[in-house]
Amino acid sequence: MNLVGAPIDRVDGRRKITGTARYAAETPLPGLTYAVMVESTIPAGTIAAVDAAAATRASGVIAVLTYENAPKVEQHKVAGMTDRNLPLLQDRIVRYDRQPVAVVVADTFERATDAASLVRIRYDTSVPALSLAHGSGYHPEHSHGDEPSVYERGNVDAAFAGADVKIDRTYTTPVEHHNPMEPHATVATWDGDVLTVYDATQGVFGTRSRLAVAFGIPPANVRVVCPFVGGGFGSKGSAWAHTVLAAMAARAVKRPVKLVLARPQMFGSVGYRPATIQRVTLGAKRDGTLVSTLHEVRSQTSIFDEFVEPSAELTKMLYAVPNVRTINTVVPLNAATPTFMRAPGESSGSFALESAMDELAYAVGLDPLEVRLRNHADSDPSKQLPFSSKSLRECYSVGAERFGWSRRVPRARSMRDGGLLVGMGVASATYPTNRSAASALVRLSSDGTAHVFAGTQDLGTGAYTVFSQVAAEELGIPVSSVRFELGDTNFPMGPVSGGSQTTASVGNAVSVAARSARDRAIGLALGDPQSSLHGHDADAIDVRDGRIFLRDRPDVGDTYAAILGRHPQGEIEERGDARPGDEKTAFSMHAFGAQFAEVRVDPELGTVRVVKMVGAFASGRILNAKTARSQYLGGMVWGLSMALHEITRTDARSGRIMNANLADYLVPVNKDVPSDFEAYIVPEDDPNVNPLGVKGIGEIGIVGAAAAIANAVYHATGTRVRDLPIQPEKLV
Amino acid sequence: MIPTKFEYAKPSSLDEAFALLAEHGPDAKLLAGGHSLIPMMKLRLAEPEMLIDLAGIPGLTGITVRDGRVSIGAMTKHATLAASEELRQHAPVLFEAANALGDPQVRNRGTIGGALANGDPGCDYAAVMLALDATFTVAGKGGTREEAASSFMVGMFETTLSPEEVLVGVSFAAAPASAYVKYAHPASGYPLVGAAVVLSMNGDAISEARVGVTGVGDHAFRAGSVEKALAGVRPSDRTALEGACAGSAAGVDVRSEPAAGAGYRSAMCDVYVSRAVLAATRG
Amino acid sequence: MPQIEIDVNGAHHSVPVEPRLLLVHLLRDKLELTGTHVGCDTSSCGACTVLLNGESVKSCTMFAVQADGSAVITIEGIGASDALHPMQEAFWKMHGLQCGYCTPGMIVSAVDLLRRNPDPSDDEIRAGIEGNLCRCTGYENIIRAVRSAAAALRNDESRHSVAELLPVGGSN
Repeated sequence: MNLVGAPIDRVDGRRKITGTARYAAETPLPGLTYAVMVESTIPAGTIAAVDAAAATRASGVIAVLTYENAPKVEQHKVAGMTDRNLPLLQDRIVRYDRQPVAVVVADTFERATDAASLVRIRYDTSVPALSLAHGSGYHPEHSHGDEPSVYERGNVDAAFAGADVKIDRTYTTPVEHHNPMEPHATVATWDGDVLTVYDATQGVFGTRSRLAVAFGIPPANVRVVCPFVGGGFGSKGSAWAHTVLAAMAARAVKRPVKLVLARPQMFGSVGYRPATIQRVTLGAKRDGTLVSTLHEVRSQTSIFDEFVEPSAELTKMLYAVPNVRTINTVVPLNAATPTFMRAPGESSGSFALESAMDELAYAVGLDPLEVRLRNHADSDPSKQLPFSSKSLRECYSVGAERFGWSRRVPRARSMRDGGLLVGMGVASATYPTNRSAASALVRLSSDGTAHVFAGTQDLGTGAYTVFSQVAAEELGIPVSSVRFELGDTNFPMGPVSGGSQTTASVGNAVSVAARSARDRAIGLALGDPQSSLHGHDADAIDVRDGRIFLRDRPDVGDTYAAILGRHPQGEIEERGDARPGDEKTAFSMHAFGAQFAEVRVDPELGTVRVVKMVGAFASGRILNAKTARSQYLGGMVWGLSMALHEITRTDARSGRIMNANLADYLVPVNKDVPSDFEAYIVPEDDPNVNPLGVKGIGEIGIVGAAAAIANAVYHATGTRVRDLPIQPEKLV
Repeated sequence: MIPTKFEYAKPSSLDEAFALLAEHGPDAKLLAGGHSLIPMMKLRLAEPEMLIDLAGIPGLTGITVRDGRVSIGAMTKHATLAASEELRQHAPVLFEAANALGDPQVRNRGTIGGALANGDPGCDYAAVMLALDATFTVAGKGGTREEAASSFMVGMFETTLSPEEVLVGVSFAAAPASAYVKYAHPASGYPLVGAAVVLSMNGDAISEARVGVTGVGDHAFRAGSVEKALAGVRPSDRTALEGACAGSAAGVDVRSEPAAGAGYRSAMCDVYVSRAVLAATRG
Repeated sequence: MPQIEIDVNGAHHSVPVEPRLLLVHLLRDKLELTGTHVGCDTSSCGACTVLLNGESVKSCTMFAVQADGSAVITIEGIGASDALHPMQEAFWKMHGLQCGYCTPGMIVSAVDLLRRNPDPSDDEIRAGIEGNLCRCTGYENIIRAVRSAAAALRNDESRHSVAELLPVGGSN
């Protein structure tokens, strides 16, 4: 049996195609009430006066919470990368546009909406800090994890000064909002001092600890449930204000409360990708080999919390450069706190670095692919460790072949298709392999089925499916005999579904749990005089289709169903714990890829159409080619969208977001997708990275995609756009 | 997002509708397909106290072609126009606009009358009606009046329709040599620039051109100087065509939005008008 | 409060509704058909798409009172778990979904597309479901799913037509 790696159909598919998968907002609870959040309409100042009288009197209204009457809760974070300081109606300070300033609870959603519109708030405004370019910033302690925000190896200044060829450019990326299709939603209910929350989240345990801290109750008193998430991309990786406010409201009205964000509120308090200003300098020899790289990143954070967009992390390790300096500066602004958004750092940083590499290729007169090959890092130059595995050269060559890179005429603005300009671009992709401690529980029953529990999440990535495959493979039973449950803090603990770590973390825990359940069942059979396997040696055993048998004599065997049927409890349970080992000190662990894009540009209009995109990715062992390829394709379209569409605009004077809805904020639509669009899986066997041999696949698809398109646009037009998105106006 | 409270009525005749309009005055709003009005109500930018649904009034839908003239009922859905062989043949400019508008679900609900009566500066049909030199039929308590498209549109969300009147239909002479092209807002689909052209040809030269432009100013307009300049031009002569289409938005207060600044929009207006002329000659 | 008569997935309902109640909230909150989702509220995303008298509409941009006397089909009526519509099967087999939030609306729109055009080209498929946003899949597998369902339906015209989904007398 080889279930792992099989492109099986997703096991949660039936519920999703019939509309029976229940998302957080669809949790049915008796006595449910409806909360609507009122948000600030200024980015900076204080609340001078609240008039909630009309709202409180409105029909059906049960409570109106403002800073004047809200119960005291803890606003500050305690620990953890995903934990945030939250505005929870504890003071009169307004720190950003769309900050929650009141919560109205009523017996129907319509009445809560009406009453919310009646809350009158008068502000004393102050001058907001809005400029990333001119605001005063600071170097945070860390850029990401334990990485220092200022890093240098070698001597960049000296090497750059002496370089034959110098590139010195500044690139900018805008604020972008995740906009998963499912708006954030919370249903909260209290039973005495015990809180249950149905939440759209990427991390049930992170949400649990945030709620426990906010209300000063033990984590064991909080249960967070999330069987389905309608997309997250990072915005659901932290517990945000609305989740705590829903629980606060439920406690205040002593009834269950549902709080669903309207789409404009998705631009308020649930994070975003911060804008960046990135200076990249490359010093190179005439043959294109790099002697120095400088990558300075300036990104925004809020005035009440710190988030660093780690755009320069990949610059430390992507190419074999002796002299590298990276600097992160954050500028606190009167804006909500930014957060992780699909490939935080790598996506924005790769646009800058990989655009600069393209500029270098033209400067030295080399094929952009060749420049990258000449600077290939055989080992990680920052950690000075070997890669656990690296197949970037294969990604370049497979991608180039599938794409037809050889068609490319080197000179810019030299290819045409009728009246349209044709361009082709390439970029490298990389994403670190992350892993956290995780646990899982496997229950084998006398009906021959396995019930597997893990406190992880499925954002649509396919976690239900691949973990069912892993359990089935280890147990030696069909996938259809596995029932996998996730998204509940009553299950063994799992990490946040972020950083492309879910499979590496939870997958290994499921594997351990399933294997020990299998071994225990085998042990039961071997020790059971009623079993035909009684007295045989465990080493001689094989398992297939729910049957345990002697490898040499397959006719001698016993089934899980029979073994457990004879067991007094009728079932066995085994827990599996998996945590990162010392591989992190022995290896540098990354997935790699190559992105290729072909565009048509209308020279009169400046419109860009991406007609072809090919990505080739090596991410270790692929547990399910179907779900994996879909992750890559989805990521590539995010990159396309980053290149051409996405930008959240803030009015420079009022500090208000101007396009907080899906009629004005551009997310890619069907017709944006290239007609020729492929993601190739480059086979890779990595025995070092973790027991399952898997690397993350959820984020690498976006990395480098925007640069490949920007490079193709330059190749087509001769115009270098260093300021995303590449809107038509910038090309005419 | 939920609108404020309102009363709802679904009259079964125009007279009933007029009575309701008279009774409720400016607090009443007419509801056609609802795809302009309902989003405004959800955002509470429109807060009518009485909503009068026109869907129950017979005789307001359909496309008829008689004696070279096309008549369309105001409650005709975009989807009906977008699928009409007769329109494709007799007024490709309108057929193309209907197909380029919104998305299938929007086209299945939205109506031509609702779109025109709303006076949205980004109404695709507004340019088309100008280019077709269409006549609007407006019914009121005292009877029916006819008004030229060119005088109907006054400003942003402003038409000559009084609060007690109902737009019941549009009509125009068949225009087989016509076309509509647009640069759509990539998210909303509304035209940032929409150009509608109706041509009369004399051999391979243009004898007369009517050019309607939408999305560019605070309401749709006829590009009069371009129309004059196009007379006598052979569209196959690219230089002459582009010369004639230059300055199509001259004298117009061009709107500036993040998705398309005023300078870019003016320049694109020329490009789209010339492309619409070319498309119309291919007809 | 007006009383409306409405057929939903073949079942008749006589319900009092506040005029401002949106069709999507009638379906989700009063009839507990939560497969129809709310994504944007500006008729941009299509997650709320249902069939109204056989035609796809965005149920967030329509009042329930406007559907008086009409027949509505939601994703639950397209096909149940034990009797999947070929379009549902195709989305599953071709992996035309990830998080699943846009999926019901996407499937309903695709069913409407095939009603109008049983053999669409890829470009026609893209145009036909342009009113539905997906943030996960990159759309590619959705196109493949619709193509595959179209082929399946053409080979088996007797079943699963939209007309069959409509209760007798439901259309106008």
